[in-house]
Amino acid sequence: MNSPTDHVLMMDVRNGDVAKLGILFERYHRRLFNFYVRMTGNRTLSEDLVQDVFFRMLKYRGTYKDKSVFTTWMYQIARNARFDHSRKHKGEATLDGQEETANQEPILEATISQNQEAQLLRDALLKLTREKREVLVLSRFQDMKYEQIAELVGCDPGTVKTRVHRALKDLREIFFELSGRKAS
Amino acid sequence: MKCQTVREQLPDYLTNNLEETAKAAIREHLTACTWCGKEAEALSEIWHKLGALPDEQPSPLLRVRFEAMMEAYRVGSRQARPGISWAETLHHWWGRLWPERPGLQFATAVTLLILGLFAGHLLVPPRSSDELSELRNEVRSMRQLVALSLLKQESASERLKGVDWSYQMQRPNKEVLTALLNTVKYDSTVNVRLAAVDALHQFADEPIVRQGLIEALRMQDSPLVQIALIDLMVEIREQRAVDVLKRLQRERELNEAVKQRAEWGVKQLS
Repeated sequence: MNSPTDHVLMMDVRNGDVAKLGILFERYHRRLFNFYVRMTGNRTLSEDLVQDVFFRMLKYRGTYKDKSVFTTWMYQIARNARFDHSRKHKGEATLDGQEETANQEPILEATISQNQEAQLLRDALLKLTREKREVLVLSRFQDMKYEQIAELVGCDPGTVKTRVHRALKDLREIFFELSGRKAS
Repeated sequence: MKCQTVREQLPDYLTNNLEETAKAAIREHLTACTWCGKEAEALSEIWHKLGALPDEQPSPLLRVRFEAMMEAYRVGSRQARPGISWAETLHHWWGRLWPERPGLQFATAVTLLILGLFAGHLLVPPRSSDELSELRNEVRSMRQLVALSLLKQESASERLKGVDWSYQMQRPNKEVLTALLNTVKYDSTVNVRLAAVDALHQFADEPIVRQGLIEALRMQDSPLVQIALIDLMVEIREQRAVDVLKRLQRERELNEAVKQRAEWGVKQLS
């Protein structure tokens, strides 16, 4: 038996069967968490934001249309939640890594033991501009097609591709700079 | 194929988003043109490194919080169902009159209170001690309302103010205590949680506070708050916490400092 699609589930939620949101939570909370961790580098904040996304899904379920694509709608909410958060907090101009890491709890769990290259790559990702980091994270970690990203961020697919291209080049440079090697 | 075209298609090439013929054409160009070949190699190296990054795992608390939200929604909608017609409209109408910013809400509350006092003074000049104590009660419930409304704010600094307000009460009602306990359990900001632990200290003789604090310790994920809660348990000599502390010690992922504190707590309490 096929499990119901995201769209069917979200339509049910919209029509009053809100318990179905639980299935969508199971499907997407890790993915959203990863999106936020890659974007902010802050695990506590990321959990708050994921919680906020599901809260907003419940609150604004009426805005889900018959023709909506679930993931696009969900990422729209996810981006808004992040923008709202950055607007509310001071030093909000960029919301890039630095300001948020200040919020981090003093005791880091998993990060210390994991291999150094992965850590350098995470750091490098946080040093990209927000725009570049976002398209890269969406296309690389969130399995989104360029067309879908374009719709989400409000530009054409060509721009997304150019941005991904530039993001990769920048990332490579920062990564090698951090690891003390020269990018060839 | 032009270098420019090839470069534009590299992102599609990396995500395997091209048809076979287009892919073949690019591959051909990349072997022929060293410059493009180098660039493609560099980009795909970093692209693959990214792909090898392990997934991040959220803490179990995320699910707990989601379920708490769903539960709150269920309870809320069950309560709202009877009398939806007038109760909701009234609530909506009243909600629009009430200013949205906490500062303004507070100012409105205080203004209304002063107006009320003034009007009361004009209308009933002689005042018995009964009335005075009634007035005191009213001020107290006003404080509780302010604290409650602040604790529900989205901004962490407003919620901190809410915790502060609760300090000013000698005997907060159950609702305020529950709100404070929920703050310790679910607040997104560690600082607010810590402040709420401090505030609850002075109400530790209430049974619901003691019970709630034990629960909060059981579900706490922040090491700082865990330590604050352990210290509080020892200070108020809450022996029922021993079980939770022992269970905490057995957790493999537990922070070392918390583990030591829990060990200390068990010794103090048993």
